[in-house]
Amino acid sequence: MVNREAAVVGIGRTVFSKSSGRTPLAMAAEATRAALDDAGLVPSDVDGIVDFHTNDSASALDVGGAIGALDLGLTLDATGGGNIAVTVVGQAIAAVQAGACNTAVVFRSLNGRSGNRYGRGESPSVPMKGEMQFAALNGFVIPPMWIAMWAQRHKHVYGTTDEDFGNIAITTRTHASANPHAMQRQIIDMDDYLAARWIYEPFRLFDCCLETDGAVALVITTLDRARDLKHTPIRMVGFGEAHTHGGSWTNFPDMADMYSSYASKRLWGSTHLKPSDMDVACMYDCFTGTVMATVEDFGLCPKGETGAFFGEGRATYGGEVVVNPHGGLLSEGYLHGLNHHYEAVVQLRGEAGDRQVADANHALVTAGAGPGGGALIYEADR
Amino acid sequence: MTATETLPVPPPPPAPTIDTDSAGFWAAAREGRVALCHCQECGHWMQRPLERCNRCGGPTGFDDVAGTGTIYSFIVVHHPGVPTFAGEIPYVIAIVEFDEGPRLPGILIGEKGPGVAVGQPARAELVQVPGAEEKALMFRRDPAT
Repeated sequence: MVNREAAVVGIGRTVFSKSSGRTPLAMAAEATRAALDDAGLVPSDVDGIVDFHTNDSASALDVGGAIGALDLGLTLDATGGGNIAVTVVGQAIAAVQAGACNTAVVFRSLNGRSGNRYGRGESPSVPMKGEMQFAALNGFVIPPMWIAMWAQRHKHVYGTTDEDFGNIAITTRTHASANPHAMQRQIIDMDDYLAARWIYEPFRLFDCCLETDGAVALVITTLDRARDLKHTPIRMVGFGEAHTHGGSWTNFPDMADMYSSYASKRLWGSTHLKPSDMDVACMYDCFTGTVMATVEDFGLCPKGETGAFFGEGRATYGGEVVVNPHGGLLSEGYLHGLNHHYEAVVQLRGEAGDRQVADANHALVTAGAGPGGGALIYEADR
Repeated sequence: MTATETLPVPPPPPAPTIDTDSAGFWAAAREGRVALCHCQECGHWMQRPLERCNRCGGPTGFDDVAGTGTIYSFIVVHHPGVPTFAGEIPYVIAIVEFDEGPRLPGILIGEKGPGVAVGQPARAELVQVPGAEEKALMFRRDPAT
């Protein structure tokens, strides 16, 4: 087996919408072709495809067939949601590094709004076995319900206020206002945040992400080849995950923390970089409460201080690090976290236009909430 | 509305997927008992039913618990995301930490939100939800303590 460096060289996506009118396969193929075009590669270069899914998707093999990548050395359809949106990228990079394939595509494609909706309880997206047996008959089956429980613990342990959550939503939406691809771009203030309806208290409307139809794809190849392609190669220079406590949404020891309190040690142990070296942080933000816990666990600010971190402008332009310059899942769209990788690449290339973070060289990307997830660090190979 | 029309009956909640590992919990519930998975060797209590203990690997069984605990966290459901209970909003779902250790989620019967707090005592109650085959484990705030 070989051991070589790899880099992200291409990014692609579809329009994000509430009703695509298309199959996940069609959208995955479009995003993949766009990512290959962006890289300056062609479908026959692709010999690895990795994706993840919990509700609807297309398989790696289907997408290979749909774009004309007909001889794949690696296909992997990973079952999971945001908790593995770093896993799949890390594994695709590892596969290229190890020589299992030379050019890998990672995609996520879903009709998350017009198809199988995560936010509805009629037919839950997760099987009602294991601990979900007890949740089923109580209708405790929807992700915002689970994560609102963790947010309530954060309030209890740290005295977190409604306004603290609100500052995350407001900052994120302000960032999205400069992103033409974002589903929601209308700026909100604290009055808007507090006046919006409760969903699952302590979460109001703007604490929750946007169920979305669409697809995102990344292309990864060897660093040697990457240096001959169109864009600045983007390398992974840190990685750490934690999938803990059997995936329990209710028996995690301290639910004011998340998986990130475990993954943080692995992430920062894998690199010489420090939290203060991050220029951009694409924090998985299925809900504001997820950002609340994970920003702290990954060391961007001390435990219990995320409210001030956002409220004092330290998480935006001119502050310490720009969190979710694209508007995240909360405002750009719920592409299950793969759009965070897309944004990190755009920022590190310096191609983000009106929302460009000055001198962006390092980007943190996190994925997951509650008991499981991970993070990686990208660096521009200039 | 005419006299012959009736209000729509809400659909049943999602059904639990019961398997060999968890059958003991549901069998007890049918008899009106709350029994959790319990290591017969080291005494460890588990929320998720398992054939063998996840601490020592010993055999497990289902033993009755006291049914008392404290509210570890809670949410107030304002959004009718689950049609079964859409007519009840707002209502409260709590995660209750049993005195034996495991935490379980359940509706906090009769509560609308105000007055509910982390740390309050609560008691388990088995409830027949219309249309459901099994009894649901729910909770009620314990006024005695």
